Amino acid sequence: MGGIGVSAIGDGIRRVNGAPAILVGVWILTLAAGLPLAAALRVSLADHLGQSLAADTAASGANYDWMQEFADQASGIGVTFKPTVIGFGAVLDNLSAFIDGTARPIAIVATASLYVLAWIFLAGGIVDRFARDRAIGAHGFFAACGVFFFRFLRLAVVQWLVYAFLFGYLHGWLFGTFYPRITHEMNVERSAFLTRLALYFVFGLLVAAAALVFDYAKIRAVVEDRRSMLGAIGAALGFIRRNAVSAVGVFAANFLLFGVVVGVYALGAPGAGGAGPAMWVGFAIGQLYVVGRLWVKLVFWASETALFQSRLAHAGYVARPVPVWPDSPAAEAIRS
Amino acid sequence: MRAAWCILALSVAAPLRAQPARTGAIEPPRSPRNASYTIRATLDPATRTITGSETIVWRNLSARAATDLQFHLYWNAWRDARSTFMRESALGGGPPENPPRRSDEWGRIDVSSIALTSPAAGDLTASQRFIAPDDGNEHDRTVLSIPLAHPIEPGGSATIDIAWIAHVPRTIARTGAIGHFFFIAQWFPKLGVLQDEGWNCHQFHAGTEFFADYGVYDVSLTVPTGWPLGATGVEREKRDNGNGTTTHRYHQDDVHDFAWTTSPDYLVRTARFEHATLPPVEMRLLLQPEHDGQADRHFEATRATLKYYGEWYGAYPYGHITIVDPAWQSGAGGMEYPTLFTAGSRWLAPAGVTTPEGVTVHEAGHQFWYGMVGNNEFEHAWMDEGFNTFSTARAVSQVFDPNYLAVRYFGGFVPWVFRDVRISRETDGNRLTGYRRDAESDAQSTPSFRYFPATGGNITYNKTALWLNTMERWLGWPTLQRIMSTFFTAWAFKHPQPDDFFRTASAVAGSDLTWFFDQAHRSSNVFDYGIQDLKSVRDGDRFRTTVVVRRYGEAVFPVDVLVTFENGERATERWDGRERWTKYVYERPAQALQALVDPNRVLLLDVSPTNNSRTLRPQGRRAATKWSAKWLVWLEDCLLSWAALV
Repeated sequence: MGGIGVSAIGDGIRRVNGAPAILVGVWILTLAAGLPLAAALRVSLADHLGQSLAADTAASGANYDWMQEFADQASGIGVTFKPTVIGFGAVLDNLSAFIDGTARPIAIVATASLYVLAWIFLAGGIVDRFARDRAIGAHGFFAACGVFFFRFLRLAVVQWLVYAFLFGYLHGWLFGTFYPRITHEMNVERSAFLTRLALYFVFGLLVAAAALVFDYAKIRAVVEDRRSMLGAIGAALGFIRRNAVSAVGVFAANFLLFGVVVGVYALGAPGAGGAGPAMWVGFAIGQLYVVGRLWVKLVFWASETALFQSRLAHAGYVARPVPVWPDSPAAEAIRS
Repeated sequence: MRAAWCILALSVAAPLRAQPARTGAIEPPRSPRNASYTIRATLDPATRTITGSETIVWRNLSARAATDLQFHLYWNAWRDARSTFMRESALGGGPPENPPRRSDEWGRIDVSSIALTSPAAGDLTASQRFIAPDDGNEHDRTVLSIPLAHPIEPGGSATIDIAWIAHVPRTIARTGAIGHFFFIAQWFPKLGVLQDEGWNCHQFHAGTEFFADYGVYDVSLTVPTGWPLGATGVEREKRDNGNGTTTHRYHQDDVHDFAWTTSPDYLVRTARFEHATLPPVEMRLLLQPEHDGQADRHFEATRATLKYYGEWYGAYPYGHITIVDPAWQSGAGGMEYPTLFTAGSRWLAPAGVTTPEGVTVHEAGHQFWYGMVGNNEFEHAWMDEGFNTFSTARAVSQVFDPNYLAVRYFGGFVPWVFRDVRISRETDGNRLTGYRRDAESDAQSTPSFRYFPATGGNITYNKTALWLNTMERWLGWPTLQRIMSTFFTAWAFKHPQPDDFFRTASAVAGSDLTWFFDQAHRSSNVFDYGIQDLKSVRDGDRFRTTVVVRRYGEAVFPVDVLVTFENGERATERWDGRERWTKYVYERPAQALQALVDPNRVLLLDVSPTNNSRTLRPQGRRAATKWSAKWLVWLEDCLLSWAALV
């Protein structure tokens, strides 16, 4: 990866840590995105438990009997309420679902879609903030969000097409057709697992490659104030081609950071726990993990931005001037 | 003293004389031995073909003359997609095979000749015809009928010579081949059971198993040299043919089926079961190399079975048992055959989770329920599967407790153990969840092969286990144990009917239990009692407490109702449970705290235990907050997975 790549990681971490409001903001966004569904689930769980003594054991630990009884009558998001939500199982469940293409209930897909839309909106502001590497204020941040939102929506159309191909077609072919075919006569589980791992690796590489291109497309769009997203994608490809080792190295290092965060959570993830203070401690640990994941996501963008800018004449270059928030007509009236 | 010596001498001499572990011989005979098979078969692994011939010596034990002979040809169930087995599989709604079965992966069995040599009737090959006694499916070829010119009268015998060629399917219904792994079951032309009502020779169905008479099996199997082989019985001879093949001759008395397996990959391990009062059993394990470290787990589970089933029901008499660890993706796991069974494990098998122990105990347990007590699995599968599911859960809880929930991720390969979720014998072991989902799908008394294919298992396995465990909690284990051991002793090496068990249960329990079996067995009604309301309000210097208990389900069972008051007072009521609801009113100095119907959870068949209690200090919201908070973290993590693509 070279010294530049390493310094880009360090630089990216510094830039993210220097903008804690962004981290807090995206954490609040994530929490807020999940809260309505969690509240709805809470109502369902409370209704099912009612005044039953089953709630006592459910509150003090894991009441598997009740969980199964609830699951048998659940619909919508309720069907996702299983023991797999406990501790690190939740992470495995989602990672596995992501890589295996497991379908989720429509309410979760809808929420995730809105959440993704919010990220598309915020992406311009976040990259702009990291690119400038200095505070731009809320108005500057949201102005950048607004400026790039529709450009990134156009980029999202391309992203959607690519990911739809990868997850909708290629994944189905790899794991629904190719994998069963090549393991058809295999009767050693270890061999089949290694085969599946290899396919995960291939598929993961393709997804990572797409993500890498789209990341740099966003970065070049922001830093160079590009309006054509196809042009930004082309420019991103050009940058990655010219700086393949560093770009891939930075991406891999960031992925490693993701692994570290997940690994640390695996060691400290709370179990079923009780319903008193332990519940809130467990919740706080869970939120720390979420913050860790978000931090890694931001470091991805920040370090990639740093890497791109390190190839320019001077770091911190952003073509577009910092937007100035217009005074309100009332302020103008007072001034005059 | 002298008598004691005599008993000791007899007990020592009997095993020496029979030596079942070494010869497969059992003296004196434990069964009628009215359907004995001498089989010679050769496996060609390259073409996946078995060429076989057999001599059947059959005796008519029924009160009616046999005007024809009826044979099962099970492998014809996979001749094409039009068989009853395949049609029922499709009806069951399981996922289609992926990739679809190639033409050379279907199976079949073709009888090339059949002759009645005693009484001599000559070659009957031309007279063979397929019948479909269960559904009239003209495309089903799993039952072969041979009309007889001269009926075989009650008590009469017949000797039949049959030659056949079979194509081994890619593994399906726990038989067939994948790679070099061969598990061969239900593979030879096999006589049905002639009863007073006529032949009991059902077609092969998707949801049920088998039924056959007991006999002596002497089977010579020719397979590639160097391939370890396991089979029902004991290997009496092994002859290298000098042409790259070896012939293994196996023998076993008093069994009703014969299965075998061979693969060049098997590791062979042996161990021995010993017990103070039960006969020793030589255990032979054919293990997949990738499970090399799991041999002891298989042996421990088999030991637990032989010990507890032996102590509870009766001794395992064969002296040897073969445990087969099937190849991955073979679909051969979890199946029972006389003196041999398939377990089933995973490459990653964490401690604290009963894989492979659970399935090993279950299939070893079938040596007792199926192997020795030979019920008709076509019609009353619950008699072995249900009894055995109940017994499995009970045995597992004796030895492998605690054990925990494990969920497998990433294509089902990577297990994660949830140490907070302990598996309970009563509900998880007896599989309440599965039963709850399909509780009303069929009355258990419906012949098993007529159950709806997708849901029959929950009625067969789970419902029986739940009602047996209900009986245990209601009558006490000593009583239930005597019921089951009495039934076992009376019906070992015979073919019991459901009423034989029900009669035994009532007789041993000392009361008529028909009302219970009418509901649990002969009906699809569900049991569901609950506390509908609990109020406790001040009335002067006392509290007036009202408890409304409701029968939500159609089935009836007497239940206790326990009301607890804040001062520690308790009131227990006995409700016959017949009306739709009842009310209890108390005038007490203290306010009520909680009310429970069936507080000891005797009625494990109750499908909604959550409504069995009501408290005036509910924790529902706290619990809901806790769990929704955990779920929220899961959801946030899920959202982050999506956001990774932005």
